[in-house]
Amino acid sequence: MDSLTAATAESFRLLFSGDAALWIIIFTSFSVSVRAILIAAPFAFVVAFLMAHLRYPGRRTMIAGFSALQSIPAVVVGLTVYLVFSRSGPLGDLKLLFTQSTMVIGQMLLSFPLLVALSHAAFQAADRRVWETSITLGAKPYRAFLTLIYEIRFGLIAAFIAGFGRIIAEVGCSMMVGGNILGYTRNIPTAIALETTKGEFAQAIALGMVLLAMALLLNGMLSFFQGRGVMTS
Amino acid sequence: MNEIVRYSALRKTLNGELLLDIEVLEIHEHSCVALSGRNGVGKSTLMRIIAGLETPDSVTVILDGKALPWRRACQQLRTHVIYLHQQPYLFDRSVTDNIAYGLRQQKFSLKEISSRVAEALDWAGISHLQMRNARELSGGERQRVAFARARILSPRVLLLDEPMTNMDSEAREQACRMIKRLKDDGVSILLATHEFHTVAHLCDAHLSLESGNLRPQLIDTQSGERKIIPYG
Repeated sequence: MDSLTAATAESFRLLFSGDAALWIIIFTSFSVSVRAILIAAPFAFVVAFLMAHLRYPGRRTMIAGFSALQSIPAVVVGLTVYLVFSRSGPLGDLKLLFTQSTMVIGQMLLSFPLLVALSHAAFQAADRRVWETSITLGAKPYRAFLTLIYEIRFGLIAAFIAGFGRIIAEVGCSMMVGGNILGYTRNIPTAIALETTKGEFAQAIALGMVLLAMALLLNGMLSFFQGRGVMTS
Repeated sequence: MNEIVRYSALRKTLNGELLLDIEVLEIHEHSCVALSGRNGVGKSTLMRIIAGLETPDSVTVILDGKALPWRRACQQLRTHVIYLHQQPYLFDRSVTDNIAYGLRQQKFSLKEISSRVAEALDWAGISHLQMRNARELSGGERQRVAFARARILSPRVLLLDEPMTNMDSEAREQACRMIKRLKDDGVSILLATHEFHTVAHLCDAHLSLESGNLRPQLIDTQSGERKIIPYG
């Protein structure tokens, strides 16, 4: 019990003394996840819009597919990316394994189905008159799309936050494709896993607190934006 | 009156059933035509086709005397034809931004947009609402914003889909006055309604959509006669 109390006290000291090793891990985590979500979200929104707007064979299967893929385990995505980028894999020559780039790719794949499924729900619930009014007032299709994005922005922000929440805390994919290299690919979840196995609880607790604060903040924001999606009269 | 656009052999099926089978529909300059018919007969679908928002199964379009393929006609008509929904959708932004929307799409200068919007606000009598969010307005005010938003683009044809539905008598009279002013400004109007008597005084002709085809109806002319105006 005493050792746990001491570790907790030490974790606060690490956090508030600006410990370089700790803050590099936090920075890596955010850098990778922010890049992944910023790249994945625009593509996901376009796919979701097309699924909601167009009628084509296989559309329902596609919707069901993205819904099902939301629950894909992070470690399976990690394994797939690992196999693709490993030396004997199809993209092995790119030598990207154990870099932040593969971590970004892994997290993009992980967040994509969630982003598509949630933003599709927002597009599906959007008033069709938004698109038609934009078009009849002379907007080109891409401008009408941007108008639609603006009109359903709260739903899309909620999807964005949920997607970010999914990847900032995942450990399986980052561990497999990043390799947990200190100062380069070690992020918050992989560092917590490592420090705990070593019995170094101070850093693990400090990082856990950052992750917990982030999770609470994201969920608070999610509730806020979902609440803004009021019905139009 | 010169013809703006003519649709011939317009056919549209919906869920396997033939909804529209129209021999010819002409829209002339400076005209106001009522389009009546019972609910579900296809009035809105016809208007949405004319607005280019829906694609017919087949049609021949003659625009300003030139025969055009459907897609080309759609592109050209898009800048001339504006469709107003039964309940117009106003974007979640200020009244000014709603009215300026179409001008922004056409890349007008800020100065030009500002002066045109001020004129449109004045025309619709809604200058006092300019900074309000359009979503906060009453039904009648929304209708005025929608009319101003359409008029600012100087359309040749305005398609009004049941504009008087669910309105009280005051709002209805106000909408009639705006339609009359648009007509006086030279805009051709096709007005879908299932209560022709409420708009009869505005219209030059009356078409009834029955079993997919258009049939001209009796109308009181300015000379006091009651006759069928051949149209379409």
